[in-house]
Amino acid sequence: MLQLKLYGLGGQGVVTAAKVLAEAVAVHEGRYAQSVPAYGHERRGAPVYSDLFVDDQPILVKSFVYEPDYVLIFDLAVLDKGVDVTQGCRSHTVFLVNSAQPPVDYPFSRGYGPVYYVDATGISLATIGRNIPNSAMVGAFAATGVVGIESVARALGDIFGKAGEINVEAARQGHAAVRKL
Amino acid sequence: MVRKLLDGNGAAAEAMRLARVQVIAAYPITPQSPIAEKLSQFVADGTLKAKYLRVESEHSAMSCLIGAQLTGVRTGTATSSVGLALMHEVLGVASGLRLPIVMPVVNRSLVSPWSLWCDHQDTMAERDSGWIQLYAADAQEVLDLTLLAYRVAEDPRVLTPIMVCMDGFFVSHTSQPVEVPDQEAVDRFLPPYRPQNLYLDVDDPMFVNDLTPPADFTEMRYQQKVGFEAALEVLPEVMDEFARHFGRRYDLVETYRCEDAEAVLVTLGSMSGTGKYVVDQLRAQGQKVGLLRVVSFRPFPADRVRAALSRVPVVGVMDRSAGLGAEVGPVCTEVRAALSAEGRQVPVVGFVGGLGGRDLAPKTLAAAFSRLLEIRAGAPAPRTSQWIDVRADALQLREVPAGVRH
Repeated sequence: MLQLKLYGLGGQGVVTAAKVLAEAVAVHEGRYAQSVPAYGHERRGAPVYSDLFVDDQPILVKSFVYEPDYVLIFDLAVLDKGVDVTQGCRSHTVFLVNSAQPPVDYPFSRGYGPVYYVDATGISLATIGRNIPNSAMVGAFAATGVVGIESVARALGDIFGKAGEINVEAARQGHAAVRKL
Repeated sequence: MVRKLLDGNGAAAEAMRLARVQVIAAYPITPQSPIAEKLSQFVADGTLKAKYLRVESEHSAMSCLIGAQLTGVRTGTATSSVGLALMHEVLGVASGLRLPIVMPVVNRSLVSPWSLWCDHQDTMAERDSGWIQLYAADAQEVLDLTLLAYRVAEDPRVLTPIMVCMDGFFVSHTSQPVEVPDQEAVDRFLPPYRPQNLYLDVDDPMFVNDLTPPADFTEMRYQQKVGFEAALEVLPEVMDEFARHFGRRYDLVETYRCEDAEAVLVTLGSMSGTGKYVVDQLRAQGQKVGLLRVVSFRPFPADRVRAALSRVPVVGVMDRSAGLGAEVGPVCTEVRAALSAEGRQVPVVGFVGGLGGRDLAPKTLAAAFSRLLEIRAGAPAPRTSQWIDVRADALQLREVPAGVRH
């Protein structure tokens, strides 16, 4: 069972991104996934997170993620807002960060697993016309091999309906542009 | 059949659409609001042919359903927490009139302190309301238990309304793959509603729920008791039939790796899945533990609980409500009563945890098992409830300094 933690700010599509990945895995790859959003006193711009489990077998646990294998950071500003993105992380934990520059000198930059980065904000502004980095991030996440980019594209089509096409384009660009630190 | 990504709220709305409810009256409340919204959307887009009544409260929602169901239609609503509390008075009207209303309830704690998050106090406060209570552990079960609930509630031997309870957020907002059956398959399992006991002709109205003297009241209540006893037979019958139609099997209780268990934890709702995960982990380390999950809390299947625990030396019960003023929480009280009826002196430890949205995480349930195994090894068994996840600073939290008085 793989456990994922997605951190970002309200309005960046963090909860939706977890659902897109769950749909890609569970509906388009016939495996199992479970997304667990953390609801609270949300508002646009406040830190939010969502959890995701992925497995080849049915998922028993109905709980939050405490020891993530993958951490997706939609906005490095969450670190300034006091969020400890390395909480529960182990030496193998993989990071995917929305950043135009290589994210060196962050708490996750050394001592954990591979760090991937992608300019999801730039891609979303160019494709969708708004700073909603979620589709570029889920596309980039497919580069880790946990889920296929074609499944992600189909899930984006299901979830975004009419806006599916530009979100799929953002995902494909994110997938192509992701780099390893 | 189609495999969809749904959360518990989405599964509840799908089940009500598949059951072809004809009148809906719902008032939104976190974390139930997506059910009210989805049903409204289904009616607006024509995929559910129903009248949607926008009401100003949950009390009105249930009152509307009572009137509508009396005229011979299947009705739908859903609620949570203080919404359920506001319905309290009319819940008894629905059950006393023997109206087989099926209502998803999204479990959320009651005030005060104010909370949006999961615990079971809302439905535990209604455990004597005359409604059957089934507790779903995930989104698939929400869909399945809701569909089979109509058959049970509407059975002439039962004629009792049913709450299908799901944990707020841990089920209501947790998305997972759900097998959604075709409408034709559901129609074969669940025929159109036919009123069995009481029918209100709108062209020739009559007075219902009239003043009942002491000479008859006891007998009317007794009829409800007989309905609950029948439900203990009808639930397994309908669950078997559901398995033949859809391939998924349910029961009044579910045992998990209890065969040779030295300690068993009794659970309710979504903690059951996490509990099974912990049982697997502890079994892999050589600890003989198991889990007994209660699916039907009302009626409480005492015989089945006794049978499942007959050879277990130490039992624990995880209550997700405080049970204030009682020795232990409400589920533990039932389990103790069931076991004592046999004269067994087995220790039954009452845990309380997961209140107001606190996660019953694997480590919390592992701590409960660890306490049970210590008791098995000779440690004394406590009589009163053990608050498994309470913080050490509980009595200092928001403490008012002495002397602040005007």
